[in-house]
Amino acid sequence: MDQKTRDDLLDLFQSKLNEAMRFYLETCTRCGVCTEACHVYASMGQVRYIAAYRAEIVRRLYKKYFKGRGKFWPSVGEAKELTEMAVVELFDAAYSCTGCRRCMVYCPFGIDTQMIMSIAKLLLIGANAEPEILSMLADTSVEKGKSLDLFKEGFLDGIKRLEEEVVAKWQLEAGEQAISVDKEGADLLYVALAGAHSIIPAAAIFNAAGENWTLSFFEAVNFGAFVGDPSKTKLILDRIVNEARRLKVKEVCICECGTAFRVMKQLTGKQPFGVVSITEVHARYLREGRIKLDRSKLKGAVTYHDPCQIARNAGVMDEPRFILQHLTDDFREMTPEPKYNWCCGGGGGLVALGEETLDFRMKSSRIKADQVKETGATILATACENCHTQLSNLNDHYKMEMRVEFLSSMVADALVR
Amino acid sequence: MDTVIYFVLVPMVYIAFAVFFIGTAVRLIKIFREPKHPAPLQVYPEKSPKWLWTLHDTFLFPTVRRHKPMLWVFLMLFHIGLLLLIIGHLELFAEFKIFQIIPHEIFLGQGYLGLLLAIALLYFLFRRFASPVRDLSVPEDYYLLILLFLIVIFGSEMDWARRWYGYEEMAVSDYQEYLLGLLYLDPYLPDAVTDSGHSFMLVLHVFFANLFLLFFPFSQSMHSFLSLPMNKLRRG
Repeated sequence: MDQKTRDDLLDLFQSKLNEAMRFYLETCTRCGVCTEACHVYASMGQVRYIAAYRAEIVRRLYKKYFKGRGKFWPSVGEAKELTEMAVVELFDAAYSCTGCRRCMVYCPFGIDTQMIMSIAKLLLIGANAEPEILSMLADTSVEKGKSLDLFKEGFLDGIKRLEEEVVAKWQLEAGEQAISVDKEGADLLYVALAGAHSIIPAAAIFNAAGENWTLSFFEAVNFGAFVGDPSKTKLILDRIVNEARRLKVKEVCICECGTAFRVMKQLTGKQPFGVVSITEVHARYLREGRIKLDRSKLKGAVTYHDPCQIARNAGVMDEPRFILQHLTDDFREMTPEPKYNWCCGGGGGLVALGEETLDFRMKSSRIKADQVKETGATILATACENCHTQLSNLNDHYKMEMRVEFLSSMVADALVR
Repeated sequence: MDTVIYFVLVPMVYIAFAVFFIGTAVRLIKIFREPKHPAPLQVYPEKSPKWLWTLHDTFLFPTVRRHKPMLWVFLMLFHIGLLLLIIGHLELFAEFKIFQIIPHEIFLGQGYLGLLLAIALLYFLFRRFASPVRDLSVPEDYYLLILLFLIVIFGSEMDWARRWYGYEEMAVSDYQEYLLGLLYLDPYLPDAVTDSGHSFMLVLHVFFANLFLLFFPFSQSMHSFLSLPMNKLRRG
């Protein structure tokens, strides 16, 4: 690696060094308490998948270039030069970490491995070594924000075709619109994913609850966050923020997508609107009596997988359980404490990388499959697109013979007047 | 030889304390002046009051207790022991009424504290010899533990000699004379400190302690100051 490239990469490293990051990089005592925290280590048993080891890959560079020790006594902390080899190690660490932050629950200091991995991901972008497909997807999202008019017509056509299916789930009065788009003064802006499954059930439930809602032009998913590019993350986020401000909505409701929800909730800053997950909204409708569900429609025991970015990392834990009380009499917890729930193994962009990561995703999530099987449930509910895909893959791979369902679809299917 | 002893017991102590205090302060100021992270770094569910739970997490190591109970026992022993020994050293300067709430001879613990600490340090060290902690450890981790063990063992030997075997050539008053001299910038080495049979223990104890203090601000030992703000981030 030439000096210029290295300097550029170190500038990127420097840009990530805020107070919290310094805490995390300075403090680890390598006590090993996090050993059992990572699902990848628990499933595959290789030391390089222990949270502290992953973090040390980044920390060694920190010790080399950002601590005086790196010059005078590098060997004391095994400080390491930034070389091509180091970049390979960074990739291995960053793209085998799903950013679930389960290790943060174990660490006596609360070191955030996901945040340390964000340095690795940014360096990979700088070295042109990141998974290209994620960058391309992020660029497409950014582009869509810039030239909405080009996409508008096609989008509206697509939505029109979905309306019939929405009405099939929930009959509307004459003159009511099944899906409204671009409606100024709506109370709630719903940000879905590209895909009918993310729009139809949600729309039916909004209509059933009599919500004054409108659908966003943009998809919720933030590929910028997956690939760890702060500026693209912000651009992708801003599209939705701007739309929400333009339409003067009171609330932005994020569909079942963990990353989208956490990014939107925690990175938008102070805004005239609030941010809620669709799970929270459904729980609210039930609490307020705005929708009713028929508990007899669902047959079989149900268990719920807490998406890491929605539960452990954003606090939505009670709401899905409250909803499930209205859907079934046979709900089975996977773990006594949701914050200890195993990651499905699909986060951090791994599911978005598709077939490329499938083998690793299956091997690294054996522990998750075991946890699900132990519940004895036949229906596996979750509230995150990536989790749903990954759990469906696990279901096939480990022959779990379960039905993997979105919580929102289950609610839509059980709606009664 | 006298020069070496003098160097270790006087100038090196000043250098070590200067590096420790200034180094730690400068590094902490540098870290705390960095911009704050723009998003919350909390782990849920939330529990109130957050500051109380932060103190709980910082000082009682609940996650270690849950996942590595044996390590937790030794960690608690070590950290409580360390605190009591720091009190013991303060008492070598002068009498503090507040510490005599529980009446005791200097040091607290009748010599057993040092023994417990030494055992805890050996446990920390030996657990690093076994995988997977072995694979995570870097030289710094071993150096610090070995250094602490040497400090504790030579310090304790002096205590044990006095307390358990009635060794009277180096008395508490001799240490006080030496330490107060250092404190008032008027260093004085009593004969008992430099010329008695156990002087070498004191010299080695102080030497290794100096090394530890010199390394402290640049090592993972900084967790003693950073653990609290980090745990606060996790609690929100």
